[in-house]
Amino acid sequence: MIVTPKIFVRIALIAVLGLLLQLSFFSRVTVFGVSPDVLPALVVVLGLLGGGMTGAVAGFSIGLLIDGSLVESLGGSSLVLLGIGYLAGHLRERFALRGALVAPLLCMALTMLAELGFAAVQLTLGVDAPVSLLIVRDILLKSLYAFFLGWPIYLGVRRALRPALVEEPRVTRRRQPTVLGA
Amino acid sequence: MYRKQVRRRRAVLALLVVGSFLLLTVTYGQSPGAVQQGIGSLFSPLQGVADRALKPARDLVSWFDETFEARGENGRLRSELESARTQAVAGQEALQENAQLRKLVGLDRGPALAFSAFEPVTGRVIGRSPTVWHSAVTIDLGRDDGVRVDDPVVSGDGLVGLVASAQGGSSQVTLLTDHTSAVSAKVLPGGAQGVVKPDIGDPEDLVLDFIVSARNIGAGQAVVTAGWRARDLASLFPPGLPIGEVTRASPEEQEASQQVHLRPFADIANLDLVQVLTGGAR
Repeated sequence: MIVTPKIFVRIALIAVLGLLLQLSFFSRVTVFGVSPDVLPALVVVLGLLGGGMTGAVAGFSIGLLIDGSLVESLGGSSLVLLGIGYLAGHLRERFALRGALVAPLLCMALTMLAELGFAAVQLTLGVDAPVSLLIVRDILLKSLYAFFLGWPIYLGVRRALRPALVEEPRVTRRRQPTVLGA
Repeated sequence: MYRKQVRRRRAVLALLVVGSFLLLTVTYGQSPGAVQQGIGSLFSPLQGVADRALKPARDLVSWFDETFEARGENGRLRSELESARTQAVAGQEALQENAQLRKLVGLDRGPALAFSAFEPVTGRVIGRSPTVWHSAVTIDLGRDDGVRVDDPVVSGDGLVGLVASAQGGSSQVTLLTDHTSAVSAKVLPGGAQGVVKPDIGDPEDLVLDFIVSARNIGAGQAVVTAGWRARDLASLFPPGLPIGEVTRASPEEQEASQQVHLRPFADIANLDLVQVLTGGAR
């Protein structure tokens, strides 16, 4: 991805929009008792489309915005999200992943990793309360939701960043031969 | 050229990782700094707009979820209604007795005696944290509305949490289900005291820890804020705010780990309107 100032602004707007949607919509609805978390999926998609560095910087910034907007300790979410953003970009660069299921599957796997990361950061910092086993259900369902939300997020972000994408896959349609006189 | 690019990438990545650790070290356990307050102030108007715009979509998703849940809840509510009827009859008797006793000792100053020092201000939830580790909501009330840090927050059903930070037009509320939350409480009837803590990952379960009582606690008993005072120190919560109802209280667990489980009265997962009790003594 070629990050021009215009594209940078678009990525920033996508991040802010994603954050607002998460805080005002996804975090406030529950499906089977668990709220979807689209921010790890958004970071994964930015990493997939823009590469490791874009993913890492986007993850760090989105993490900073989450912690800042909720007035939590800064740095925890940034650390986790920059890791999965970089990993998504690195996997794409290293293995040239292609296919319709790549984005949703990576969103699912890396959302699970992100949720485990959030848990690890919090437990390392010290949690002065009992932890329910339902946390496992929370992580699994959040990953499942990321699978279903990953594809529309991927399509939306790819459309918004299309001018900057170097490896935009071409849609080739074979033309039907025109038979004259038929 | 390629090596230089790789080195630069590694340097940026290392900088971001070190930056995250530094931020975590500097801000962990500290009261919110200028950066957090600034981001909070910047986002709260946008969150307010997004909250109103997305309400119909949220209601639609909630309707589907609630329809699924309502099936299982029907049976539980029936049994609760039966026990509530019994308690209501006992409560009527207690009210009459209470009124007579109040007259006797000259304490009859009307209802909400405990809340007389507080002025409730009603607001709306406009944002919520995405992870279960930080259970916090943003509300559209701030310093301009008289809200201060450590003000108690309630919903129509009971205690919700405490104001953690307040800006001009918005505040962040740490919910009862946040891992940093701890509320001194007592069980009614009986008066057994303890500290209510969350059971992280389960918004419908709280734990009443360190029970100071010789008597066993049973399922169905109500838990309210204790509202203690010792010389110049006082609880941030007024006494008598409803917190929840005891759901699991095995005598073995009470003896071994000195704790019982309760379900919060407030629907912590689906908060919309809340009241901040402002103006209380600090």
